[in-house]
Amino acid sequence: MGKKLLSEKFYKSMEKLESRYPSKVALLLPALHAAQEEWSWLPPEILDEVGAYIGVHPAQVREVASFYTMYNLKPVGKYHLKICTNVACCLRGSEELVEHCEKKFGIERGETTPDKRFTVVEEECLGACGTAPAMMLNDDYHESLTVSKLDQLLDHLE
Amino acid sequence: MSETLFAQYFNEESRPLDFYLKKMGGYTASKKALSMNQDDIIGEMKKSNMRGRGGAGFPTGMKWGFIPKQSAKAKYLVCNADESEPGTFKDRDIMRYTPHLLIEGMVIGAYAIGANHGYIYIRGEYTREAKLLDQAIQEAYDAGCLGKNIHGTGFSFDLTVHRGAGAYICGEETGLLNSLEGKRGEPRVKPPFPAQAGAFGGPTIVNNVETLAAVPYIINRGGEWFSNLGKLEKSGGTRLFCVSGHVKKPGVYELPAGSVTLRQLIYDHCHGILGDKKLKAVIPGGSSAPVLTADEIDVVADIEPLMKIGTMLGSAAIVVVSEDYCVVKLLARITRFYAHESCGQCTPCREGCKWMEDIIERIEHGHGREEDLAMLLDISNNIAGKTLCALGDAAAGPVMSFVKKFRADFEAHIRGGKCPSA
Amino acid sequence: MPKCIIDGREVEFTPGQNLIEVAKSAGIDIPLFCYHPGLSVVAQCRMCAVEIEKMPKLQTACSTMATEGMVVKTKSEKTKENQESVMEFLLANHPLDCPVCDKSGECDLQDNSYKHGSSYSRYTEERRTYLDLDMGPVIKKNMNRCIHCTRCIRFGNEIAGLREMVALKRGNNTEITTIDGRPLETDYAGNYSDICPTGSLTLKDFRFKKRAWYLTKVPTICEGCSKGCNMEIQQDNDQIYRCVPRENLEINRHWLCDEGRFNFHYVEREDRLVDPARAKSSGIEICDWGTSIDAAKATLEGQRVAILLGSDLTQEEASSVLQFKAQHYADSPIFHFGTPGIVSSKDDGPEDRILKQKSKTSNLNGMEKLGIPGFERLPAEITAALVIRGGRAVLPPEIDGIEKVGIGVFMKDQAMMFSAILPGLSFAEKDGTILNYEGRAQKLKRAVQAPGQSKSLSEILMIWTNRKNSHGVA
Repeated sequence: MGKKLLSEKFYKSMEKLESRYPSKVALLLPALHAAQEEWSWLPPEILDEVGAYIGVHPAQVREVASFYTMYNLKPVGKYHLKICTNVACCLRGSEELVEHCEKKFGIERGETTPDKRFTVVEEECLGACGTAPAMMLNDDYHESLTVSKLDQLLDHLE
Repeated sequence: MSETLFAQYFNEESRPLDFYLKKMGGYTASKKALSMNQDDIIGEMKKSNMRGRGGAGFPTGMKWGFIPKQSAKAKYLVCNADESEPGTFKDRDIMRYTPHLLIEGMVIGAYAIGANHGYIYIRGEYTREAKLLDQAIQEAYDAGCLGKNIHGTGFSFDLTVHRGAGAYICGEETGLLNSLEGKRGEPRVKPPFPAQAGAFGGPTIVNNVETLAAVPYIINRGGEWFSNLGKLEKSGGTRLFCVSGHVKKPGVYELPAGSVTLRQLIYDHCHGILGDKKLKAVIPGGSSAPVLTADEIDVVADIEPLMKIGTMLGSAAIVVVSEDYCVVKLLARITRFYAHESCGQCTPCREGCKWMEDIIERIEHGHGREEDLAMLLDISNNIAGKTLCALGDAAAGPVMSFVKKFRADFEAHIRGGKCPSA
Repeated sequence: MPKCIIDGREVEFTPGQNLIEVAKSAGIDIPLFCYHPGLSVVAQCRMCAVEIEKMPKLQTACSTMATEGMVVKTKSEKTKENQESVMEFLLANHPLDCPVCDKSGECDLQDNSYKHGSSYSRYTEERRTYLDLDMGPVIKKNMNRCIHCTRCIRFGNEIAGLREMVALKRGNNTEITTIDGRPLETDYAGNYSDICPTGSLTLKDFRFKKRAWYLTKVPTICEGCSKGCNMEIQQDNDQIYRCVPRENLEINRHWLCDEGRFNFHYVEREDRLVDPARAKSSGIEICDWGTSIDAAKATLEGQRVAILLGSDLTQEEASSVLQFKAQHYADSPIFHFGTPGIVSSKDDGPEDRILKQKSKTSNLNGMEKLGIPGFERLPAEITAALVIRGGRAVLPPEIDGIEKVGIGVFMKDQAMMFSAILPGLSFAEKDGTILNYEGRAQKLKRAVQAPGQSKSLSEILMIWTNRKNSHGVA
């Protein structure tokens, strides 16, 4: 392997976390989260670097990463909108929010705008059903949304 | 209502350790527990009639009793904070407002079962709650309430927050343990049960957030006191009901277990249906619970009464649907979710959930066939009870109940080619 | 021994045995896909679910241990309904391309479908399809046929020690594969095909060569190393199509390495010399047996001869050589040879943590038992050699410079070094006994006829003995 792509900070935080688990493989999920924080998505070289650090076959990293929906195995926009459309949210109008975003950005759900600023996806239950409809914008929750509240939020992004 | 264990503290001020120590009697229960005999703690838990708040409702004291006293391998206490059943959002409030209740509950639980390591497996989306828990854990370490030699008793317990990454199945305890170990969150074959061989092969107890957060109360005030909070036999304490959907005031409501009917929850506590429309359907225990019609809501919202009428309390997540929402569309959404979340290990769930999703979506979009309904019942019957974990049942229950109870709506879609409520 | 009741019959069992094995011991077959006796139990396919008295739900026989007095019904209505349902689920997305599938005829999915499935499918939704990337030279993947039993994943992980086959994504979209089209790394890859219960993983080497039902299966022993793995040669019309492992829990369990599996190809190589031959100035010349034996005798006459015996020969062959030596070359030294660097069984040992031994011939132990020393160097006085081998023993380079006669299996380029070649039999063409690394005697079994004019070693030695030389003496 050539030059390391993940930062010193990544490796330091992993070293610190290692004592918390009886097996190094248990670091896989935290490591993927930390790597994604640095790269916004998980390209194959990053997955391989994580595998090399933990000491598992590259295929093992892929099978784990691809099992979980939060790991982005494809690039995402600067703003990643994950709109919950599960039961409680769909009862409170989340479909409208998704359609609004599709129209606003001229893309379909699951796609990224050509300028790489926005990715819009439908998300399964976010566990914020009492304040439906809910959405995650990158790591943050936005709840009790309406189309106008969503517009206000999006229009104020850089 | 009278005193609540949690809800009265559901605000930002309650979070810091200082508040917990001064206003909530924080960490007095763990001091008391750590001087108690471990069997006596488990005895109190048994007396409390605490039934697990994650969804299965298994008696917590009995579960703790399954842990072998002697074990060559390290034991673990794991908190299931995956809160993944759609409709459920109570544990999030506990974690963000009263994290120390959970931490103290875990210290006591760990001591009772002889574990020196614990994990809070929190769903990956709850990034803020994970950070808040990390902060609270650090506070507890700094105050000597966690870590080495807790309260000077010689008992040590390390607690780590482990984030999931987007998989409903990790709410299933063995799927959770695999995920904790850095694997795909696929449920394991049982036996062995986690109490024999769980996390990293060691004896393990997995408890829900609300379950563990109630433990300090049970220790401080006694199992009997907790049990008496509940109004039914064998179901102690209060319950956090999560009400969502078409009600005027959705949210978390804490009420004594067995003290309230679905009708009271919907119309009294949540102020009725949005727009004062008529009620169409209620899902009483998270989206996997078989659905109830508007005529079936005079039932006490607790484990046994709901089981008697063929559904379940689950995680006490009540989803309310008004008359103008298409139940076919709703079932399509629910089924899509379970198909999406099926881990894919076992045949009936992997193949059956997607098949049901496809059929229901066809019906929703006006391409249904007369034979589809019988086939849906047959497929769901071929999944229910025949899979490795409960996800199969979770997917089958809604299909069976929706098709049986709202058959006319489905038939109208099939015969008319479109939704009659649109 | 404790007993349980299966389908009304009392069956004895060993505690810890699962219901599949207990039923099997009583001749009752419970249909299954994901269970494999050599791999961990995952209870995923649900095909083996059976009804057990006092249990409300069906229980998977693979993950249920028999207990005293347990009453099991493998053919009840409930059990059969489940089997039919599992078949329907498994076939929903299966392409049903049996006519062009290599697995046809030996396919668990096909067999179980025939026995337990329905002749009618209710599935009308769109079928799931995958695009397959290459997986290297051994295995061809066809993911559309896969039923997600994960035997291959478990084989890689638990036996080959490599997590190279994995499940990507999840649920209905799960794909079982290597990543990025990487070739399989293990040198036990052939087993992936053996354990696949459908035509999802087939052997590239065998694809479209022969329908399984035309093959005659001959139980024999692999000659690839001193392990003595039990295997089967599968042939039709005297052509070998493939070798597959035979279960022997004490030796190879269920497995075979690729080296052993594909070793048979030399038997059928076009450049194998299957006719007697003798050296000519321009190379070698095919001749009759008499001519080649005369040439052989002439080569060795008056020379100080060493006899070199491949440790790929059987006990019976080696014994006949010892008799022959006593009669004709009593003063000659005799050595066995086989693998460079392996002179005796002391040099042998495991080559990996699975099956392979360092000795790449099958009967090193047998040679020692007959008192034949291992070849290290030619004694100084030796001027010629009689080299007798099967198809595996590697010719020692020390004999390059001297006159030689060869008996056994030789390719044409090897034959060039010899003054005469008397073509013998490979392991697939003879019966005989070999002793594996731990001294266990096992039988080679003839699977195909001797090719061309090749003959058994005892016959060749007999002709040699009987052939009168130019002085009129035998």
